[in-house]
Amino acid sequence: MLETIFTTILYIFLFCTLYMEVFFLITFFEERAKLTHKPENPELAYHPSTTIIVPCWNEEKTVTKTVESLLALNYPKDKLNIFIVDDGSTDNTWEVVQKFKDNPQITLIKKENGGKHTAVNLAIQESTSEIIGCLDADSFVEKNALREMARAFNEDKNVMAVTPVLVVHEPQTVLQKMQQTEYYTGAFLKRMLSPLDAINVTPGPFSIFRREVFEKLGPYKKAHNTEDIEIALRMQANHMRIRNVHTAHVYTTAPNTLYKLYRQRLRWAYGTMKNTLDYRFMLFKKEYGILGMITLPISFFGVFIFLYNFGYLAFHAIKALAEKIVEISTVGFSFIVPHIDLFYFNTDFVAILSYVFLGLALFIIFNGTRLALGRFKPTAGIFYFIFLYGIVAPIWFTRAVWNVAFSRSSSWR
Amino acid sequence: MRAKIETKKYIIVFLITAFVFLGALYVSNRFAARRTAEVKAAEDKISLDILSSETQFALLKDSSCKAFDHSTAFSEELNSLVEKLSYMEQNLGNENPDVINLKKYYSLLQIKDYLLVGKVNEKCGVKPITIIYFYSNKGDCAECQKEGYVLTSLREEYPELRIYSFDYNLDLSAVKTMRSLYGVRNTLPALVIWDENYYGLKTAADIEKIIPQLKRLRTLHNKAKAADATNN
Repeated sequence: MLETIFTTILYIFLFCTLYMEVFFLITFFEERAKLTHKPENPELAYHPSTTIIVPCWNEEKTVTKTVESLLALNYPKDKLNIFIVDDGSTDNTWEVVQKFKDNPQITLIKKENGGKHTAVNLAIQESTSEIIGCLDADSFVEKNALREMARAFNEDKNVMAVTPVLVVHEPQTVLQKMQQTEYYTGAFLKRMLSPLDAINVTPGPFSIFRREVFEKLGPYKKAHNTEDIEIALRMQANHMRIRNVHTAHVYTTAPNTLYKLYRQRLRWAYGTMKNTLDYRFMLFKKEYGILGMITLPISFFGVFIFLYNFGYLAFHAIKALAEKIVEISTVGFSFIVPHIDLFYFNTDFVAILSYVFLGLALFIIFNGTRLALGRFKPTAGIFYFIFLYGIVAPIWFTRAVWNVAFSRSSSWR
Repeated sequence: MRAKIETKKYIIVFLITAFVFLGALYVSNRFAARRTAEVKAAEDKISLDILSSETQFALLKDSSCKAFDHSTAFSEELNSLVEKLSYMEQNLGNENPDVINLKKYYSLLQIKDYLLVGKVNEKCGVKPITIIYFYSNKGDCAECQKEGYVLTSLREEYPELRIYSFDYNLDLSAVKTMRSLYGVRNTLPALVIWDENYYGLKTAADIEKIIPQLKRLRTLHNKAKAADATNN
């Protein structure tokens, strides 16, 4: 009886998950022509004046490379200002950035530590540009990224913010390679959410806004250490358009250890859930389109669905493992190589659905990689993502649910 | 102006999702039906083989017992079948009507084989080693799973060993008769070896003590393996 209830819940959740994936798939086929479209004239007719803010807190090792990537942008120098804001670093960040003090494009600001959003807000106040962006000091931009994003502003006056495609920079460890593939799937989903006006985050690495966003909505607010989600939701609540430009690439450094990854993802998962709760008035409201009907419900309930499905699979895997242990403890370890018989190939309902999900995941990875890199290249990261992500992600999702339930905030680091 | 999604898209997505979902259910059921058919076909084949052996045995009567063939390979077919039945029981559940029917058929085949082996034994003096095993999978037999592992492992090691396993709770008169014939109590797992009943978990070592011939078989197997290795 209990097993039937659990299985029924699983079927409902699997149906919901499949519904979402089919939704994105159909959107992909609707958008396919635009994904391969190249502008007739790669040069811009108009270059909006731009300010890029680089907030730093103890970024002495990476800030130089970040700023140099900005200086190398394929964009008129007189139209691009860079604000480096040292948010009370305790290392040598301030000394390191002094090398840029004579560059006319760069303004250096030092302030007391107050959190990333306070650093960005200070620079927004100082800026007079038409469009304003932010670049985390552990990220680097491709030289055409800004031009591609400015084009999106030029082409549609209603576009208020533009996000790029994020790519993991030089992945070394297994976890970084896993994240590399994860970012490709993210690139696919963000690009699909873009025409649906359903983007719920303007990521720290190189999201760019029209000045009037801040003039109309005010500056960044403290929001569970995920201010980039809050500003996006505030924009969506005010029906401001956010677009994702898949031709603009930004490289970011992914956490290289499980603990660092856990801290980062806990912050993201907790922030996503808390911000969604803060903007819950948009949930299931047709007025907010796909954002209200799909993105926000996924953001909040998706965590529970993920954990439930994981729990169900883990329960059965542990049960099978326990049976194997009983077998080994009873008759010892058998060295006989099992003969392959298709009779024993798992074809029960959940297994068949799993094969469908695996196929969909590979489709998304394939197309996400093509969006991010322009071509598909098989990597070990795909294997790690498929087999490892489902095992490690429940760690931070479980903790995030716990923290949300008991209102324990998560820290930046 | 926010992008508006037509209700039509939601409905189309729902229909495709439902199609894939129900399609997966259909495919899964088709595979289950195919498995049932495969097991049924294997049972039919075994049934035919038993009938053939019985007929051959009746025909030969007083002739040489050497001409009669009711081989170890036949026992292996039964072993393979029990593994498949066990897998189906795990996946479809022990309440599944198809599984119950296949188990009943399988139990009858085992009894027929057991009777034939008895007759051969009587006439030809060939005494195969047999174990009758009663189990329950209703959750009331904590040791049945372990006993199952022990017997499976013995089957693999000694293909000559004929193990007949019966679900103690199977609603089949022939199985009930077997139960009462050997006076097996509901204290499971229960083994019947050389007309003697043994209750509770019996390890491979326990069974080898009860059937000393198994050790001789092992020596023979080892010699055969060594000879094979030398020839190769």
